[in-house]
Amino acid sequence: MKKRILALLMSTVMVFGLAACAGDDQKKEEAQKEETAGDEKTSEGQGGKEIKDMTFDELKEAAKGSTVTFYGWGGDEVLNKWLDDVFAPAMKEKYEITMERVPMDIDQVLSQLSGEIQAGEEDGSIDMIWINGENFQSAKENNMLYGPFVEKLPNFGDYIDAESEDVTLDFAYPIEGYEAPYGKAQMVMIADTAVTPDLPKNTDELLEVAKANKGKVTYPALPDFTGSVFVRNVIYDICGYEQFLDMEADKETVKKAIEPALEYLRKLNPYLWNEGKTFPDASTTVDNMFADGELVLNMTYDAFGTSIKIADGTYTETTQSFQFDKGTIGNTNFMAIAANSGNKAGAMVAINEMMSPEIQADRFDKMKVLPVVDYNKLSDEQKEAFDKVDLGKGNIAQDELLSKRLPEMPAELVPIIEEIWLEEVVGK
Amino acid sequence: MREEPEKAVKKRRFMITDIILIMFVLAIILPVAVMLVWTVTERWAWPDLWPQVFSLRALDGIFQRSEVLTKLFASSIIISSAVALLSVAIGTMTARALVLYEFPGKGLVYFLTVLPFMVPATVFAMGVQITFIKLGLNNTVAGVVIAHLICSLPYGVRLLMDGTAAVGARLEEQARVLGASAGQAFFRVTLPILIPVILSAFCMSYIVSFSQYFLTLLIGGGQVKTFTIVMVPYLQSGDRNIACAYSVIFLCITLAVFAIFEKIADRWSRNTDTAFYT
Repeated sequence: MKKRILALLMSTVMVFGLAACAGDDQKKEEAQKEETAGDEKTSEGQGGKEIKDMTFDELKEAAKGSTVTFYGWGGDEVLNKWLDDVFAPAMKEKYEITMERVPMDIDQVLSQLSGEIQAGEEDGSIDMIWINGENFQSAKENNMLYGPFVEKLPNFGDYIDAESEDVTLDFAYPIEGYEAPYGKAQMVMIADTAVTPDLPKNTDELLEVAKANKGKVTYPALPDFTGSVFVRNVIYDICGYEQFLDMEADKETVKKAIEPALEYLRKLNPYLWNEGKTFPDASTTVDNMFADGELVLNMTYDAFGTSIKIADGTYTETTQSFQFDKGTIGNTNFMAIAANSGNKAGAMVAINEMMSPEIQADRFDKMKVLPVVDYNKLSDEQKEAFDKVDLGKGNIAQDELLSKRLPEMPAELVPIIEEIWLEEVVGK
Repeated sequence: MREEPEKAVKKRRFMITDIILIMFVLAIILPVAVMLVWTVTERWAWPDLWPQVFSLRALDGIFQRSEVLTKLFASSIIISSAVALLSVAIGTMTARALVLYEFPGKGLVYFLTVLPFMVPATVFAMGVQITFIKLGLNNTVAGVVIAHLICSLPYGVRLLMDGTAAVGARLEEQARVLGASAGQAFFRVTLPILIPVILSAFCMSYIVSFSQYFLTLLIGGGQVKTFTIVMVPYLQSGDRNIACAYSVIFLCITLAVFAIFEKIADRWSRNTDTAFYT
């Protein structure tokens, strides 16, 4: 009986499979037909010019009246509100472009994108993507992104320092014009000075803080972004950072290089929350545990976010962000365009606008996002917009923060370190 | 003397069920109460029993977006109701076929109807997505409805099979003997009796669809926006007061919608009842 059911099941699966294959071919043919039809349409509409040959003014013209979708993480209420209430109306007024924000985690964005590309969708639903690091590298290497496009954008040429490594490299991976800078981030640690008056200036002092507050220090489990950058910072503090910038992505090499840091992390374990047997699942959990007083130390990529949380009342007035003396890792997050985007012209206009001094100053003012524009390229009037921003309580001064900014490791090393951490640190 | 031990037993039994009942109620009420407090709480640090800092940030934010949210709710409710309606219609037919009729391959059909129970959505989602893109169903409301149906149908079919088995074919046969057509026999005899089961199946399908995040995101491509699509990022972000505010709204809307369904079902079965008896 069982055998018969199995046989029946297998034959149905096969029948379905065959049917699907047949359907596939038909669809492909249809898709191809549509494709050629679509091509004719677009070339007609834009006077026979392809996107890559168009000037920016022509792009603006082509994008008029269109809708641009912007896919990215949607868990930050302040940012969501800003995109909906400030950026979208500005785009509508200036360029008659409707912005549609789609809240989605980057993993899902990329899986949707790869699905669409695999299925041969030419008029894709994803236009702009908020992306960086390993995700950018894998998307670019799999030909999922459109580019190079940044050279076309006037604001990129006028206000961005195209030579700086913050703009040419993303986790040491060459960008080559496939993404445009959106905002800068830098890791800082956060503590309440009423609870821990002496903020640790290096990893040794951090160990002392952990000893004094047994069970009240921890970091998010890797591969959480923030947990991962914290561990890389510990590695930089103990092993220096220069050797990693051109290190081969080989597990044995990396492991040998970071051994002293692994030793330190294991030494730290007994004083951590739950004695380092387990770690909180995400940085958001650590944020909440810190706000609840369950932990005395927090860490974040959002360098100036502390003042917002103090103003909201989530953190106490005496909360202060700080860095190690040797500095902390900073990186840039970027905007890219999907390879099959249905509105590349609109996406480019929107990305250009996002890099304008006015928009960047407004982001700096309202969300305390580190601007990507080059201060030296600004007019006095534009400089003033940045100068008058009040950073609020609890933040490190911008000059000091940026003077202690360390570069990210190559993107390929990140997953290797995460793997080694899981094997050599957790519960050891 | 003789009565006393019996009484004691009765009393103790009463207490045990009571305690269990209270625990169940608390398990539901307490989290909801905490959630309500968190909607206006900014900081609630250990070891205080009461929050230190209150704020209206979350509620403010929600009221500012009330227009967008209303639209979101309208679209969510319409999508989920459509899914529930289809699921009940298909479920009723499938259940009747499986319970009342014999045909070759019946076991296989039954197995296939409950297959989505066993295979998690994340597993078949990619295949569904690619197929839907080829069919031109991705990023459309219809696509999302069909994708939701895959998840909600097993519940509909299972529940309605039990209901159909309990009602049986005898009453319908009786009606046919008395001269009713096949349609009349179903719509005026079986359907009114099935209403309570249909309501459960409807509500179950509705809630499966309403809270569906992953499939909606993948098939809708973020273009078909439901309330869950907007809410889940906040739940993941750990911003507790906003997450709680959204959850409370989610809960209220769902309860309200269910109350309306119940009212409709109630009225419907009563109407047919009177028609049936007069």
